[in-house]
Amino acid sequence: MFAYYFQLGLRSLRRNPILTALMVVGIGLGIAASMTTLTVMHLMGSDPIPWKSDKLHYVQLDNWDVNSPYSDDGRPPDQVTYRDAVALMAAGKADKQVAMFKIALPVQPQNPDIKPFQSLGRATYADFFAMFEPPFAYGHGWDRTQDADHARAIVLTTALNEKLFGGQDSVGKTLRMNGIDYTIVGVIGDWKLRARYYDLTNGAFDDPEEFYLPFTTAIDLKHRASGNNSCFKSSGEGWDAYLESDCVWIQMWAQLDSPSRLAEYKSFLDSYVNEQKKLGRFERPLNNRLLDVNAWMRDQKVVSRDVEVQTGLAFAFLIVCLVNTIGLLLAKFTRKSGEIGLRRALGASKREVFTQFLIESAVVGLTGGFLGLLLTGLGLVGVRALYTQYKSVAHLDWTMIAMTILLAVVSALLAGLYPTWRACRVQPAAQLKI
Amino acid sequence: MEIRPILSALMRSKVSMILIGLQVALTLAIVCNALFIIGQRLDNMNRPSGMNEADTFWFGSAGFSDGYNASATEKSDLALLRQMPGVAAATSTNSVPMSDGGWSTGVNLQPQQKTSTAETTLYLVDSEAMNAFGTKLIAGRAFKPEEIVSAKFGDNVQPPSIIVSKALADKLFPNGDALGKPVYMDKDPPTSTIVGIVERAQAPWVTSENIENSIFAPVSMPSGNSTRYLVRAEPGRRDEVIKAVEQKLTEANPGRIIGKMRTIEQTRKDAYAGDRAMAIILSVVIFALLCITALGIVGMASFWVAQRTRQIGTRRALGATRLDILRYFQTENFIITTMGLIAGGILAYAFSLWLMHTYQSPRLPWYYVPIGFVCLWALGQLAVLGPALRASRVPPAVATRSV
Amino acid sequence: MLKMTHLQKVYRTHLIETYALRDFSIQVREGEFVAVTGPSGSGKTTFLNIAGLLEEFTGGQYQLDGVDVHGLNDDKRSKLRNEKIGFIFQSFNLIPDLNLFDNVDVPLRYRGFAAADRKKRIEESLSRVGLASRMKHYPSELSGGQQQRVAIARALAGSPRLLLADEPTGNLDSLMARGVLELMEEINRQGTTIVMVTHDAELAARAHRNVHVIDGQLTDFDDEPQLRKPTRDDRSSTATVA
Repeated sequence: MFAYYFQLGLRSLRRNPILTALMVVGIGLGIAASMTTLTVMHLMGSDPIPWKSDKLHYVQLDNWDVNSPYSDDGRPPDQVTYRDAVALMAAGKADKQVAMFKIALPVQPQNPDIKPFQSLGRATYADFFAMFEPPFAYGHGWDRTQDADHARAIVLTTALNEKLFGGQDSVGKTLRMNGIDYTIVGVIGDWKLRARYYDLTNGAFDDPEEFYLPFTTAIDLKHRASGNNSCFKSSGEGWDAYLESDCVWIQMWAQLDSPSRLAEYKSFLDSYVNEQKKLGRFERPLNNRLLDVNAWMRDQKVVSRDVEVQTGLAFAFLIVCLVNTIGLLLAKFTRKSGEIGLRRALGASKREVFTQFLIESAVVGLTGGFLGLLLTGLGLVGVRALYTQYKSVAHLDWTMIAMTILLAVVSALLAGLYPTWRACRVQPAAQLKI
Repeated sequence: MEIRPILSALMRSKVSMILIGLQVALTLAIVCNALFIIGQRLDNMNRPSGMNEADTFWFGSAGFSDGYNASATEKSDLALLRQMPGVAAATSTNSVPMSDGGWSTGVNLQPQQKTSTAETTLYLVDSEAMNAFGTKLIAGRAFKPEEIVSAKFGDNVQPPSIIVSKALADKLFPNGDALGKPVYMDKDPPTSTIVGIVERAQAPWVTSENIENSIFAPVSMPSGNSTRYLVRAEPGRRDEVIKAVEQKLTEANPGRIIGKMRTIEQTRKDAYAGDRAMAIILSVVIFALLCITALGIVGMASFWVAQRTRQIGTRRALGATRLDILRYFQTENFIITTMGLIAGGILAYAFSLWLMHTYQSPRLPWYYVPIGFVCLWALGQLAVLGPALRASRVPPAVATRSV
Repeated sequence: MLKMTHLQKVYRTHLIETYALRDFSIQVREGEFVAVTGPSGSGKTTFLNIAGLLEEFTGGQYQLDGVDVHGLNDDKRSKLRNEKIGFIFQSFNLIPDLNLFDNVDVPLRYRGFAAADRKKRIEESLSRVGLASRMKHYPSELSGGQQQRVAIARALAGSPRLLLADEPTGNLDSLMARGVLELMEEINRQGTTIVMVTHDAELAARAHRNVHVIDGQLTDFDDEPQLRKPTRDDRSSTATVA
């Protein structure tokens, strides 16, 4: 019976081409608008590391000016000072921990055909690779001893390895940057990061980083962070004063494998800050935070306000399209009341009429869904053109394709409910003239 | 004309009326708020930076060779730039407007002040800066070459003389007597004296609340081995100058990297890419929404005409002219649209309140809704015109046709 | 009142020409009650449509109340229809979304009467058909006979000189039909000319004069016995057969 009704639905689509086109285009447009924005929002905001996002915690301490908070809503600074970062790293109280900052260095390729160029990278600790789990194409990250030795070790990304070594295994080779030779210990493979969630302070969707080197080495060589640096008072003269200052410029993460470890680490942070208070630092009330990956992404508004507003508007638009479809289905079904009366007279039960017309609505939805999918594809091309930084998040995946069709059919079914109910109420033969 | 009978007839088919009304209401609410957002974005995008945007470009220079002297290179680079044909002015600077990266600081009127009087961006520039930026000096003077303070990165910036934007001058000294006044750029002395005021000079961050506050300080402070230059070309010669500069500077010192040349026009485009995208996306949504609503009205009106063919014929038989029939459907549409619009007006303000609450957006100005009313009235009348004309052509003889 | 001479109506498709009326002449005098009979497809309805200015004709002449209607534009015909003619349809054609008051009001609105005048006329004509008490009811709440009475009230409200009825009892049972017919006779006695199209011989028999249409042409039934005396002696009137 389902196949029969499905066929009837298809045939009915063809019988009223203009009305059908209006409905299909309506649903298609509504679905496309919603799915385009939803895809961007979904990929921007979705959990980047679902298997351990609840174990990775962003460390925030409030060392800010006693007279004016870091942000008006009382949130602590989004980065930590060098002093605190090295103290927490040295204490090593978390299961894994990392302090890091963004750097920019000139690369001096050995190949004379390649001109020197500026490259963005990250100064970090050995645990970075175990915590955020980038896949390695060649080699591996450096180890904790190399952190301690301020080793001249470096990990490249595929892009930089491609540029410098034509994509070949470059482990063991040296790379000269700003006059210093580093030994390549690993090359990261295809790391599909939609948002650079581990450093949201410096732009989740900005230019990709191309290399990783030990934090201790970068400090040794007095490389300043090329990312955000905030001070509430003068840092004083010179490099050492800067390192001792209350300027914040380092991101700090702790991996805590169980809730009890989290609780322990929290109390450790509290006692650390209380110790510091005795030294005259941390004049503000205790305000430590340990947000996990998803909470941190929400806190830093990775899904931008604009994308949220767009998604809201798109869904309001979908509602308009649905209201439109209800009206048109009503028109279509009312025109068929003669046929309904006849079917009823020939023995169709109310339930059968209900099924027939609901399936007809679903057929409209399905057609609209396919059109919507096409338009969503176009919409995402548009988003990629408009927001170059969202290239990584404006793509359809299979989940979203299935969602698109499902949303279209469900919407059409919802829109079809009332018109179908009205169709069922047609009395048998009431429309037949004898 | 005959509003009451049309209204009472409408009341007998409430659902269709509610559907169209609801559609019109939502359309109004969305269109008003979306238009308002577009308007805000366009206003943002059209704010002047205070610079000469057409002829200027900027780039970085990063040294890597052993014994690279950033300070000396800066001096020789500037000298080289200034004597190049087509270059009107050149300066070193730590940042440029709309580039999304720079320095900000608090400014105080008293030593040891607890909260700053104003937040401002800080441009560390050379003596030719006013000329290179193309900002208009409206009071005081520009920097003199001998005023330039040479500093190492991380040093405290407390130059004896500074130039401020008018917005900052007014914020610090509301009486308009900022020129010659001392201010604290740190908690402690020494103070810096305001020697000049420029009409406008925006901060690097286009979303900043304090975008109009800026200070120029005559300081040469390379960041490590990196320096940034801003060059203004003679009118119309920007692109040729860019090519020449890139070549000349690379040749002048092979021990450093000359970064990408960026025009201020491109910098503005990049800075407002999000606003532009938002405006375009919302325009597309508005357009699609109006199309859907219009098509919905066409669809429903066509259906009503088809359903009421006999009734129309009867009216014609009873003496209605074609114009009477046309007017009937137009009036009917007007009534439905108006009901929808009244609901939509309330919805638009509610929507705006929600945006205000959730995103701290400004309040929807009152006039958006009445303008929306007029537009949707026109849209409705236009959309119903086709079906109404078809209705007016129903022949009166339909009335005597047997069923 | 109504005079058609050599009237012709041709429907053309690209293949064939169909004559709905050919060389059709008839004259109806003021105050007459004429029944037009004939089998299905004979051209009765076409005659009624042309008489009621619902359709144009393709040849001949038609004078309505002394006005030559040939070549009048749509607006003038609408106005003429509205002022001079009242219609009674087989299927009543009441507007289902309007109550009785508003239904009767429809032609009056197009006439442009003042509100008070309209109200008076509506109440009067509804009282005349005995439905004054049900003014706020909707057509679907009435029986067929009552609906046709409302239609008659609507036809009468504008005080037309000519009442055109198309099978006025075709959708009614015999009891209701009798009531409607009596009402029409009553209206005729009060001076309104009535032309009624029907295929019901019994009904036709009650008119003053019967004309018979076959194949778009007229046959006069003047010699048929009449059940009622006409109010005026119009027996000399002729309908010319082509």
